Amino acid sequence: MAVFEIASFGAIVVLVVLGLGIIASMMGIFNFAQGEFVLLGAYVTYIAYTAGLPVWVGMIAAPFVVGALGFVLERLIVRRFYAAPIVAMLGTYALGLIIREIVRGLIGGLYLSVPEPVGGSVTIGGMHFSTWRLVIIVITALVMAGSYLLLARTAFGLRIRASLENPALARASGISTNAIYGATFAFGAALAGLAGALIVPVFTLFADLGIRFLIQGFVAVMVGGIGSFAGPVAGAGLIGTLSAALPWVISPVIADVAVFVLAIIFIKFRPQGLVAGKGV
Amino acid sequence: MIEIAVLVIGLLLPLVLQDYLTVYATRVLILCLFALSFDLVWGYAGIMSFGQAVFFGSAGYGVALLARDLGITSILLVLPAGILIGFAFALLLGGFLLLGRHPASVIFVALGTLTGSYACDRLARGWYYLGGQNGIPSIPPMTIGSYELTEGPAYYYMAIGFLIVVYLLCRFLMRSQFGLALAGLRENEQRIAFFGYKVQHLKAIIFSLSGAIAGLAGSLYAFHEGFVWPNMLGVVISTQVVLYVLFGGSGTLIGAVIGTVVIEAVSFWLSNSYQDIWPIILGVLLLLVILFRPAGLVSLLLSERERVGSFGRPGKR
Repeated sequence: MAVFEIASFGAIVVLVVLGLGIIASMMGIFNFAQGEFVLLGAYVTYIAYTAGLPVWVGMIAAPFVVGALGFVLERLIVRRFYAAPIVAMLGTYALGLIIREIVRGLIGGLYLSVPEPVGGSVTIGGMHFSTWRLVIIVITALVMAGSYLLLARTAFGLRIRASLENPALARASGISTNAIYGATFAFGAALAGLAGALIVPVFTLFADLGIRFLIQGFVAVMVGGIGSFAGPVAGAGLIGTLSAALPWVISPVIADVAVFVLAIIFIKFRPQGLVAGKGV
Repeated sequence: MIEIAVLVIGLLLPLVLQDYLTVYATRVLILCLFALSFDLVWGYAGIMSFGQAVFFGSAGYGVALLARDLGITSILLVLPAGILIGFAFALLLGGFLLLGRHPASVIFVALGTLTGSYACDRLARGWYYLGGQNGIPSIPPMTIGSYELTEGPAYYYMAIGFLIVVYLLCRFLMRSQFGLALAGLRENEQRIAFFGYKVQHLKAIIFSLSGAIAGLAGSLYAFHEGFVWPNMLGVVISTQVVLYVLFGGSGTLIGAVIGTVVIEAVSFWLSNSYQDIWPIILGVLLLLVILFRPAGLVSLLLSERERVGSFGRPGKR
């Protein structure tokens, strides 16, 4: 039972971190608005639900809506920041602040809940598992595999990796790095939107939903190592598992803090992260 | 010139303000002190500290505990204690993050300090001795001999006194050889290292100094408000101070002060009627400043030459 809890929470963290990791690895930008993209995904699902649509419609719509918004923001604002990573952090922080406060204004200081589209539980070998959490684990695995295939096996993925590795040469080869960056950012945002949509039945919807995941996500990306696909995923798996497993052993508050402190110490002594090197 | 103008306004303000506004103005002055501490690390040395509230809050909690458990409220003891606590925490955190065999990347320092702030906030919330969620209420007032300093004009003038002293110290420091070396760090770290400066030591020193200033601000704040609560350590205050300094203009001391005063004044003015949309406006303004006025509001008043170490060249950041 504990193992299932841990696995499902780990899956959630991986899902959240995937988008962050792709943007950080492929574009070298630490997107402080990522947590708010998660929030937006959750909010879109909530709107669809209150409009009387089935919950899963909202969940399917969320990544597209958030991805589109991410694309627009990238075109208008984020693309100005590529030269300076710190300015990018501050700029995306400001973006995140705007999104968060708008959502706060829309929902008020409330904690809203959305039901699971698939309720109930599955019994395997005498143990009950929440169906929805199983679904999350499965979708996470699918999304991970899909993203990997997209980056590693398709022509589009090849272009993305080329723009990352050597932008000048990529441009000389006729790849529009500008468009690639826009698409990558939108893709990362869409993943965050999907994560938000999927987790909203598990967590409730509130304006500060994103902040917690943001810090967790950054730490996971750093632990895993920037620059590769496997790095952030590995880091997210580790951080998610630890965050879910430690509270079974020690008090939750200490566990929460301990994970972060351990992670920072780890990064201090191994700055390149778990998985060193670039590429997929 | 601007510095003198701001000083004169600051000195005359309590004469014209109503009492409750003086209290608010005192709070802003203390926050200015806090903003200065961030400006030293980011504006001058180019170290991104997203965890400045750790030093602010830990000093606040420290002096609150001194007052609550030991009954120590004398200004001669609590303020040095607060400064020391801020200094010690900054030395620990900064020493860990900045020193060592691998030179720390900017991103790592930013994330490390941010995480530190989040962790401290969580710990304070969960720690019963520190009052948990509610913090430590009703701290007795600070005393000078037998005189009790409560909020009002007296506290205001004390705060402005400290602000002036710290401001002048920073100004002196930043125009010394040390300050030039720091500005060099911001502009081109490698070159300063080739000159033979111990880059990491310089960074650790300025980080600890700024922690001490934040500690002073935190202890003044704790006694002024009369209570401390976990938010004082958290990510919200940590990022708030970043906003002040960026908005006003990092790399100039007066910019930090102006940014704090402007943001707090506008937020006070707007919070009555437009409480919900104010944070949104703040975000939009910040974005505009970052995009179009990277040198901050102060660049409307001062030439780029005023920024120590940039010598009239436009900043590259």
